[in-house]
Amino acid sequence: MIKYRLRPNVVVKIERRLHYPRKLSVLSTILSILIAFGVAGAALTILGADALIAYSQIIAVFITPSLLIETIKYAIPIGFAALGLNIAFRMNFWNIGAEGQIYLGMFASTGIVLLHVYYGMFPEYFVLPMMIVTSFIAGGAWCALPSFLKAKMKVNEILTTLMMNYIAIYFVDYLIYGPWRDPKGFGFPLSIPFPEYAKLTLIFGESTYLGSILFIAMATLVYCILKYTKLGFELKIVGESLDTARYAGTNLTKVITLGGFLSGGFAGLGGLTIVSGIIGRLRPRASAGYGYTAIIVTLLSTLNPWLIIPTSIFFGGLFVAGNTLQVTLNIPGATIEMLQALIFLFILFGELFKRYKITILTGGGKPEP
Amino acid sequence: MDERSLNKKLSRRDFLGITKTAAIGGVVAAGVIGGVAGYVAGTGAAPAPLTVTKTTTEVKEVTRTVPEPVKPLKVGYIYVGPIGDYGWSYGHDRGRRWADERFGKPVESIYMESVPEAEVGGAITSLIEKGVDLVFTTSFGYMDPTAEAAAKYPDKHFVHISGYRSGAAGNAPENMSAAFAEFYQLYYLNGLAAGAVTETGVVGYVGAYPIPEVVRHINAFVLGANYAYKKRTGKNIKAHVSWIFEWVAPEKARAAAIALVEEKNCDVLAFTEDTPAVLQVAEEYQKKGRRVWSFSHYSDMKEYGPTAHLTGQIANWGPIYLEFYRMVATNSWQSVDIWTRIGDYMPWRWRLPEEKSTAGKPEGTVYLAPLNPVIPSEWQREIKRRYEEMKELLFEPFSVEGNLGEPIRDQDGEVRIKVGERADHDMLWSMDWHVEYIEERLPR
Repeated sequence: MIKYRLRPNVVVKIERRLHYPRKLSVLSTILSILIAFGVAGAALTILGADALIAYSQIIAVFITPSLLIETIKYAIPIGFAALGLNIAFRMNFWNIGAEGQIYLGMFASTGIVLLHVYYGMFPEYFVLPMMIVTSFIAGGAWCALPSFLKAKMKVNEILTTLMMNYIAIYFVDYLIYGPWRDPKGFGFPLSIPFPEYAKLTLIFGESTYLGSILFIAMATLVYCILKYTKLGFELKIVGESLDTARYAGTNLTKVITLGGFLSGGFAGLGGLTIVSGIIGRLRPRASAGYGYTAIIVTLLSTLNPWLIIPTSIFFGGLFVAGNTLQVTLNIPGATIEMLQALIFLFILFGELFKRYKITILTGGGKPEP
Repeated sequence: MDERSLNKKLSRRDFLGITKTAAIGGVVAAGVIGGVAGYVAGTGAAPAPLTVTKTTTEVKEVTRTVPEPVKPLKVGYIYVGPIGDYGWSYGHDRGRRWADERFGKPVESIYMESVPEAEVGGAITSLIEKGVDLVFTTSFGYMDPTAEAAAKYPDKHFVHISGYRSGAAGNAPENMSAAFAEFYQLYYLNGLAAGAVTETGVVGYVGAYPIPEVVRHINAFVLGANYAYKKRTGKNIKAHVSWIFEWVAPEKARAAAIALVEEKNCDVLAFTEDTPAVLQVAEEYQKKGRRVWSFSHYSDMKEYGPTAHLTGQIANWGPIYLEFYRMVATNSWQSVDIWTRIGDYMPWRWRLPEEKSTAGKPEGTVYLAPLNPVIPSEWQREIKRRYEEMKELLFEPFSVEGNLGEPIRDQDGEVRIKVGERADHDMLWSMDWHVEYIEERLPR
C-alpha cells in the first residue's frame, strides 16, 4: 500500500486489490477503451479531422474482407509472440525479449531455406515442417538462456531478455549484409526469395489462412499444456510463489528453463510467419515491433490463450487502420502514431485502476505519522 | 457455485486478473460503439468528388445526351518517411504535387507517410480499397509487396521506385513498372567541386546503408574529387566513409560528420541521409572560421548552409509520375523500367556550350543545385562542360576518362574498369567495391 499526502488533511491511498468483481473488470476494460477512443477523437477534432469518420474507418478495417485478411496477417506474428509471453508471464517471468526471439525464428527458418536451396539438404516437402521445428527451437533457446540464468543465479530477466533483443537484431543485420545476401539481388540487403514450398501461401494462396490454422493449433496446444499437464500446473505454482513450489518439490531450474524455452519458441514461430508469410524472404528489421506489441496483447488477454485471438486481431487492425486513416482524414502520419499510443495508454490506465484501489481521504483525522 | 468459486480463486492468482468476459466485452463493446459511429459517419462520409459525379448523373438522366463525365484519375503514394524530412519523402511529395498540377485533367492523389516497410502490404490494400488506379511505392523495401499486390490486382497499376522488379524486366507482373532518378553523374560533378576547393585533400562521406546505390554514389563522388584534386596538385585524393545505417537520422549523421571533420581532417562532406544535417554541420564550422563544405541532397538545401553549400544533387520526380498518369489515363500502359539520368525528360536534351549551360538550374528529373561562386571559375566551367556532355551520355564517370585516363581500380588494386570500358547496368546495379582512394573497407 502506498500513501501520498497531498495536503495535511488529504491523503491518497493506493492499494492493491486482492480480488476484484467480474463486473468491475468488464466495466473498466470497456470504459478504458471508450475513453481512449474519446480522447483520440477529441485530439482529431482539434486537428480539424472528423472523429466519426475516423471511428468508422477503424471499424471498416475489421469488416472489409481484403483489409481483414491483411489485419490477420499482422495479427498472427503478434499472436504467436503473445502465446509465448502468456506462458512466461504465468510463471512470473517477465520476458521482454519476444522481439529478439522473433528474430531468431526468422533466422532459423531462413537458414533452413538456404540449406535446402544452396546445399540441396532435405526434400522439398520437408522444408516447411523443418522451418517450423527449427524456428521454435531457435526462439526457444534464445529465451531458455535468460530463464536458465534466472533460475540458477537469479539474474533479472527483464534486463537479459531486453538486451538480447539487440543482439538478435544486429545478428540478423550482419547475416543479411554479409553471407546471406542474395547473390542475384544487386547487392541489396535481402536474402534470396523463398521458394513457394517454403511459404505459408503454399496451401490456400493467402498466408493468412495457413497461418491462422497453425496459430489455432498452437493456441489449443498451449491451452492444453497449461490446463491438463503437470508442467502447466508447475508453471502456475512457480508464478504464485516460489517457496510453495520449492516446498512442493518442484525442480525449479527445470520448470523455469522449460517455460522460458516454450515462451521463446512460440515467439520464434511468430518470426517464421513474418519471413514465410508476410515478406517471403529475410531482410533487416523485418519485425515492426511485433514482439513489443505482444506484451500489451498478453496483458489484455488475461493470460487466456483464446483471448489472444481477438486481442491480437484488434491490434493488427490498429496497424492497418493507421494507414487507412492517413489517406481518409488527410492528417500527418505522426498523428496516427499518437492515436495508437493513446489507445495503448488508456488501456494500461484501465489496468491500473482495476488492479489497484485508489481512495482519497479528506478532512477529519490527524495527519498520520 | 463450485465453478464460480473456482473462478474467483483463479482470478485472484492471476496476476492480471482480467476475466474472460472483460476482454470479450471490451472488444465487443468497441465493435458495437464503433459500428454505430461507423453507420453515422458512413452516411455523412461521402467523399467530395462524388458530389461532382452526382450532379452530372442527374443531368444525364434528364437529357441522355451528355457524354460520360470524366472520372478523375485516382493515384496513391506510399512514403517511407515523413514528408517533413526535407529529403527523400519530401522530394517525392513535391513530385506528386508537380505531376498533379501539370496533368491538366482531374486527378485526385492521396499519400501515406511514414509507412514501415513491413506494413506496406496493408497500406497498398487500403489504397486499393480507396479506389486508386495507380499506386507509387517509394522505398526499396516495398518492392516485393508491390509485386505481390500487382499480381493480386491485375487491373490496377503499380510503380515501384528504386527497385529492380517490373514487367519489363520479366520478374514482376506486367502491371508493375520500376523507376528511379539516378544521381551518380551528379555525385561525380559534386566530386569535381570538392576536389576543386579542398585544402586538406581529404573528403568525407556520410553513408546511409552499404547498398549498391549508395556505394556507386560514393565511388562517383570520390572519382570526381580525385580528378579535380589530382589535376590541381598532382596528388591523389583521400576519402573517408562513415556508415550510419539509417535513412533518416539527423543526429547520427551529425555525429558522423563531426567525426569526419575532427578525426579525419575532411573539409568537404558529401552524404546520403535524408535531412540537411551534414550541411548544417559544415555551416557551423564555416561560422567558426573553419572552411568545411557540403551539398544539397534531393531538394535545394542552400538555405541550411548559405556559406557551406557548394552545389548538390536534386531530383524532381514529377515528370516520371506524370508519364505514368498519362499512361493510365489514356489506357496506354506499358511496363517500363525507367532510370533517369541527366538529359532525360529535359525539354532540350542536347549539349549546350559552357557559357549557355543550364547546370545549376532546375530541369528534367535530376539536376545540379546552384553552384557556389567559391568554386574556382575554371572548375565551374569543367563542371558545366561535363554536365552538358552527360545530357547526351557523351561522358561517363565510370570510365577511364573520368579518372584522368587511368583504369579504375578497387581497394585491392584490381582493375574494375579498363581502357575503353564503361560501367554497364549490372556493374552499376551491383557495385560492391570501393575505388582505391577510399580508406575504409566496405562493411560486409
